[in-house]
Amino acid sequence: MDARLRRVNKEIADCKNDKTSNIRIDLVDSSPFHLKGSFPGPEDTPYQGGHFEVDIVIPDSYPFQPVKMKFLTKVYHPNVSSASGAICLDILKDAWSPVLTLKSTLISLQSLLCSPEPNDPQDAEVAKHYTTSKRSFEETAVYWTKTYATPPAGAADTRDEVAIAGLEAAHVDQFEQLGFPRAKVIDVLRRLNYRGANVAQITDDRIVEELLK
Amino acid sequence: MKVTVKHWHAVAQWRWDTGAAEPEGPDAENEDVCGICRVPYEGCCPSCKMPGDDCPLIWGECTHVFHMHCLLKWIGTPASKQQCPMDRRTWVTAERKVATA
Repeated sequence: MDARLRRVNKEIADCKNDKTSNIRIDLVDSSPFHLKGSFPGPEDTPYQGGHFEVDIVIPDSYPFQPVKMKFLTKVYHPNVSSASGAICLDILKDAWSPVLTLKSTLISLQSLLCSPEPNDPQDAEVAKHYTTSKRSFEETAVYWTKTYATPPAGAADTRDEVAIAGLEAAHVDQFEQLGFPRAKVIDVLRRLNYRGANVAQITDDRIVEELLK
Repeated sequence: MKVTVKHWHAVAQWRWDTGAAEPEGPDAENEDVCGICRVPYEGCCPSCKMPGDDCPLIWGECTHVFHMHCLLKWIGTPASKQQCPMDRRTWVTAERKVATA
């Protein structure tokens, strides 16, 4: 049997037998090289209470090449792309070592949620939000956890687009009343990082100019 | 009662002398595996068929142990940067004094 298959099967079995780590690895289809990992959001973080799913692809030369992982669950975090779920973490790139396992890598993702690295961002907009106003960033991250990472996720109709963008309703209302579509206002304010101390720095004219583009 | 032994099988067991204590307890299975292929040291690396002298272990000066073939394969990839997979120190193979009785 091929070495990669043997190691992966062993890793899946080890993870099943380990009841203490809260890390799960499941098959997606019949292939053992495409898996789905999941873990609970760490406590005392904005991700607490959430259930986070990760897409796992085992490359041909595993374990000599790093496993490919990205978030399937939307996560509001400076080192995770809010659009694609792509993850910026050294061990998934040049700091990989063959002694790392699927389980230990998923545990590293879980701890990445505890300790954002805004200076090495995957999502520059989210990182800017984090460095501009950590409190506002955390509120948005909590909202994303509630909206996207909490089973059952049946609340699709009641999603608050303003909260998802990490903005304040009063700001969005203000420009919407000028006659711009709400979605456009949200998009522009998010891109301009209209939060915290930045609100005083960005003139209304600048925003209207962006809205007219 | 008189017993006559007509036939007997000798059974021997061997282990690599990794310097580690005899494995014990529920984690014993995990502690004595090569960190790269996850096969016990006394088994062989995935490219070999027979355990033993043809598939030996290799020791680093950092004291970490692997199947020699697994470690050499890792060191041969550019991603390794010639580092020990366990501690990322530059890999230096340790000289082992083989005790000969």
